[in-house]
Amino acid sequence: MTELPWLYAAITAYAFSVVAALVGVGRLGTAMATVGGVSSVSESQRNNERLVLLLMTASVILLTITLTDRWLRIGHGPFVNLFELLISQLFSLGLIYTIAYWRIPVLRTTSVVVLPLMGVLAVWVLMIEPTDSVFPPTYHNPWLWAHVGFGKFFLAFCLIGTGLAGVILLRSYAFAKNLFRHLPDNVILDKLAWRFMLLALVFDSLMLCAGAVWAQDAWGRYWAWDALETSSFLNWLLLGASIHARATYNVPIRLGAVLIISVLVFAFVTYFGIPFYSEAAHKGVI
Amino acid sequence: MRIATINKVLRRLASTKLTLLWMLLLAVGAALSYDNPEDTSIWVLIVPMLLLAVNLISAIISNPRINRRGGLLVFHLGLLSIVILAAIGRLTHMDGRVEIIAGAEFSPEIVTDVHSGPLHSGALADVNFVQGPFTVEYRPHMMRGLTQSQVALSDNEGGWREAVVGDDRPLLVEGYRFYTTFNKGFAPILSWTSHDGRVAETGAVHMPSYPLFDFKQSNSWTPQGGDEIKFWLQLETGLTAEEAWVLDGRRATGTLVVNVSGERTELLPGESVEMVGGTLRYEQLTTWMGYKLFYDPTLQWMFMAAFITIAGLSAHFWQKLAAEPLGLDDALRHEKTHVKKSASASRSAA
Repeated sequence: MTELPWLYAAITAYAFSVVAALVGVGRLGTAMATVGGVSSVSESQRNNERLVLLLMTASVILLTITLTDRWLRIGHGPFVNLFELLISQLFSLGLIYTIAYWRIPVLRTTSVVVLPLMGVLAVWVLMIEPTDSVFPPTYHNPWLWAHVGFGKFFLAFCLIGTGLAGVILLRSYAFAKNLFRHLPDNVILDKLAWRFMLLALVFDSLMLCAGAVWAQDAWGRYWAWDALETSSFLNWLLLGASIHARATYNVPIRLGAVLIISVLVFAFVTYFGIPFYSEAAHKGVI
Repeated sequence: MRIATINKVLRRLASTKLTLLWMLLLAVGAALSYDNPEDTSIWVLIVPMLLLAVNLISAIISNPRINRRGGLLVFHLGLLSIVILAAIGRLTHMDGRVEIIAGAEFSPEIVTDVHSGPLHSGALADVNFVQGPFTVEYRPHMMRGLTQSQVALSDNEGGWREAVVGDDRPLLVEGYRFYTTFNKGFAPILSWTSHDGRVAETGAVHMPSYPLFDFKQSNSWTPQGGDEIKFWLQLETGLTAEEAWVLDGRRATGTLVVNVSGERTELLPGESVEMVGGTLRYEQLTTWMGYKLFYDPTLQWMFMAAFITIAGLSAHFWQKLAAEPLGLDDALRHEKTHVKKSASASRSAA
């Protein structure tokens, strides 16, 4: 398996980015606690952010090589087994979060929440037997690409929203207060987080629609309440109901943060747990 | 007075608390519907969907936050239309299974395992196609690959048009979709002629699915005026489990082992055997393809409704972002101010 060295290199770069992010925010917090401002650590913080960005970019490039190498070797994309799906998600979540980290500076501190969460996927992929997969005949369909692509954006926007929600919850604890003092007020972070959750709802809806079209072509039914369909519909309902509640009622910011995190947890279980728990269509057995 | 009462009722029906409650009820219904258990009624989905539809209609009419915002209005109308289309789809749908031998014409009578809505009124009798040969690619270790099934479609003017379907490319005729399945196999065509010449019939005996039941290619048939005949088909298809292989009925040969009253006879195509009551002739070996049949006239409408719904949602968010520059903009503005402050503080320190 020629792609494995690239994968290990990507995960190493990724692990260093996690350490750099945690050390950077930790240093900022210590400095803020002693100096009482941001001015004296600003340049050092900038350098640290550049280092994190560099390491995340390196990880994404190495994952691109991993996926390309595997694709060329086995002849199909990373759509079938858990090993492939985890690498693919690490790549797409890494890519989208790296772009967001680069373009939206206020999100950078969320790396202390987001990167360890992605670390779960990285550790998981190392624990799985890297077996080759067989591409099911029903996967030769362009709607599969749309379905998977929309799903990746959905999960990435949920992850960014969760990063902000995590910061909101963490900064309420005394030990983390200084770490996030330089960030905007919770009200602004909350609005920003829900913007990403709204985007997540759009992409979740697109993912379900594209999946239904694919299922109709592939298995002759657009909805059959299999395990993955049921779970992803419940996930969509939870996200929709959360947004509806947030838009209609004065949901406390911390409760809103908990709702955002629960949507991501549900999505995580749906996309990484359900397909490998059940003998459903998405496992490629039909 | 009456209008005021109607408005009051509408506002109550459009309650956003009820929306959350009905969504919760729908979530329970969806969870109960997992894997379509036979002991769960369809009403666990219909009731919350109906309640949500009433809630949606009331909100669309009475809530200015919805009906005065284009994107949000389209989104809610879209959701409503999806619910309505899903209901129409269930009432008018039909699904079933059919096995057709190569060279035979489709006929509604051979459709089995039929489930249809009470308002189904499709033109299944107008469906006209002839099954041709098929190929199925297998990778090493019997991993099924692409299926290519040839069919000839009538143009209703006496002519025929060839088409190849398979896997995610269904045959679409008169709104009915025929999907190839893993279920396919061989069928010896047999003729039976009674000794007195009064009975002469020809038919195909479908053997179990191949290569799934490679080890069990057996079946039986009782001709008119004769005893039950047990068959076993010895196939030569080139199947090698360890290597890639293509299942192609045109390249396969089969010896038919006939068992009558404990006596075993092997027949090749064109050969006959005398039996009690008549003569059995093994005419030729052919194949059969199993299709899943699906009909739902709302499919295209559902597709359009779903994408218009999402377009409405996207438009609403776009308008929201343009009209209320908070969130990202505020955060970015804060970041810029923070950088400027940091820079000026650094300069002061220097």
